[in-house]
Amino acid sequence: MFDKDLLERLKRQQETWNIAHQESFEKEIKKEFVSEAGIVTRRVYTPLDLAEKGVDYFQDIGFPGEFPFTRGLSPVGYRAGLWAIAQYSGQSTPEECNQLWRDLVAAGLNTVYAAYDLPTQLGYDPDHPMAEGEVGRTGVSLVSLRDWEIAFDGIDLGKTMVSTVCNAPGAMVIAMNLLTAQKQGVDLKGLRGSSQNDILKEYTARGNFIFPPEPSMRLVVDTLAYCSTVTPQFYPITVCSVHQSEFGANHVHEVAFALANGIAYVESAVNRGIDVDVIGPGIMWTTSHDHHALFHEIAKLRAMRRLWAKIMRGRFKAKNPESMMCRLYSSVGGTSLMKEQYLNNIARSALAALAGALAGAQRIDLRTYDEQWGIPTKDAEITNIRCQQIVGYECGVGETVDPLAGSYYVEWLTKEMEDRFVAEIEKIDGMGGTLRAIESGYIKRTMLEDAYKYQLGVEAGTIPRVGHNMFRQENDQSRPVRVYRADPSVEQRRVEAVKELRRTRHDREVSRTLKALRAAAVEPATAENNLMPAIIDAVQAYATIGEMCDVLRDVWGEFREPKIF
Amino acid sequence: METQVAGRRIRVLLVKTGLDGHDRGVLVVAKALSQAGMEVIYGGLHLRPAQIAKMAAEESVDVVGLSSLSDNHRAVVPRIMEEFKKVGLDDVMVLLGGFIQEEDVPVMKRAGVAEVFGVGTRLEDIAAYIRNHVSP
Repeated sequence: MFDKDLLERLKRQQETWNIAHQESFEKEIKKEFVSEAGIVTRRVYTPLDLAEKGVDYFQDIGFPGEFPFTRGLSPVGYRAGLWAIAQYSGQSTPEECNQLWRDLVAAGLNTVYAAYDLPTQLGYDPDHPMAEGEVGRTGVSLVSLRDWEIAFDGIDLGKTMVSTVCNAPGAMVIAMNLLTAQKQGVDLKGLRGSSQNDILKEYTARGNFIFPPEPSMRLVVDTLAYCSTVTPQFYPITVCSVHQSEFGANHVHEVAFALANGIAYVESAVNRGIDVDVIGPGIMWTTSHDHHALFHEIAKLRAMRRLWAKIMRGRFKAKNPESMMCRLYSSVGGTSLMKEQYLNNIARSALAALAGALAGAQRIDLRTYDEQWGIPTKDAEITNIRCQQIVGYECGVGETVDPLAGSYYVEWLTKEMEDRFVAEIEKIDGMGGTLRAIESGYIKRTMLEDAYKYQLGVEAGTIPRVGHNMFRQENDQSRPVRVYRADPSVEQRRVEAVKELRRTRHDREVSRTLKALRAAAVEPATAENNLMPAIIDAVQAYATIGEMCDVLRDVWGEFREPKIF
Repeated sequence: METQVAGRRIRVLLVKTGLDGHDRGVLVVAKALSQAGMEVIYGGLHLRPAQIAKMAAEESVDVVGLSSLSDNHRAVVPRIMEEFKKVGLDDVMVLLGGFIQEEDVPVMKRAGVAEVFGVGTRLEDIAAYIRNHVSP
């Protein structure tokens, strides 16, 4: 990238500079500036560092909108408009949640990022004994198409995207999303939105699994194949790294484990005889962009984008550039926010939005200032939408595409991250792939080591957290004016709602479609035997998530965690 | 450092209550207590109150640590305490950790929880509490 003479001159000059400033160097507060992933940050970066790493402009950086997409997926970036603003939210009943989402859309939300309650995520209806005490608590309880009709009443799915977080029953949730859109008159060919539907990270980082990995993967591949023709603008999966990050994984483990999961999904589809370019364009990513280690976050996402493009082109022989694009639906986890002096979290969220924007994310989602106090309040969610709008509109962050490209530091760090991701993925390949690494407990154990180290670092004060382990305020009385707590009557109301649904729908149609679902699930997965049509039929007949999951639990059994401790 | 009761190591069962799958916190605590010399049994996810009681009885533990992040503790903890009584575990020390609202701490203590360790707790404080309160 740089000519030899320049590098020679630079080397001599840097040596002279080093000698001249020894005294200043000794005043540095730390001997080494080292990240949680073990990356040592140098004092200063020059073209010499890029040359040492072998960074090549054409191979590694290139132009926006072109392979390897280091500089972003779009040739014009945010000059054609801001990223999509999302905010993870959901509470209580479909009726109450509808009001919340309408208010957020009115505040400028582009994507309803739907938080589900735990029973629904685990395939239990509100009246199941396992659901006791949990209905409508961590998110909204949405178990049927009827619930969707209520929750999205007055929210135009042709304009506002929905992104659902309900992974193990992801296929059923997608069916509800498509059918609701259709009922609203939206043409599915143009429907946009996504479903998280990333089951593999549930086994290691989030714990909301139902079925064993093999049939779960089958469901994911079914959604990818089905949506590729029925609703090609819709992303049926967002492969996650944010949950690995929230579990405590360092940057390298976080991204490498997510990419390994992405590889497993694509492999699974290809092994079923599906063309990589059929399913590749439907894959999105839910990544993480914290406010701390800001440059590491940005470099991490640029490196991830580059490596996924290389994996899809090199390993899977994708030909369509759309298949190679690592679309970043970037999120932040609550662990980056502090309970103490909770308003400080607004600054953290704004900086996180900046990190996401500088990394070229397609969608951004932030955690709220009251995250450490309870389920977010609407006021706090609107503050986050404003944080994004301030970064987008007031900071002018999108006036040029990929503004940090060419920074010696950022490009060096991007390459360093990429090299480390590659090494970790090779390690997982060596174990026989991500499924084997999940089963052996390797992934979870590795993340636990990282989480433990992080906790010790915070307690020792080597990982700075303002208001928590430094600048603590004595007699800190600050607490949010309002803290959200689920109304205990929600559970009873939801139990009654699902009973009412069962009374009013056509029983014969429900049992016919559930029988058909069972028949399809018993047969092996093939390109022809896709479960989505059967799921669509059952959802259309107002079968509930609990009922559909019961059928599949019966056929496939349930996942049992490997012992990792 | 006393981590033994009646000549054996203090035995601790750690579990997640209810359906929440976020087990980073409880696993970090498991590692810390284990490093502090205790014998830690991690019970895992998605357990019903009766299953937790059964496990605690079978493993004859001195301490049960419950982890709750989903705000389900007011509904679930009293149910778990009932199940403990049913299996004759009247004197097992029950600790609660995770996301517990301050106003709920006295409620949990009245339900039989010995101590609540909320957001921001230091690992060594949990180990110290157990060492100081588990009687031989």
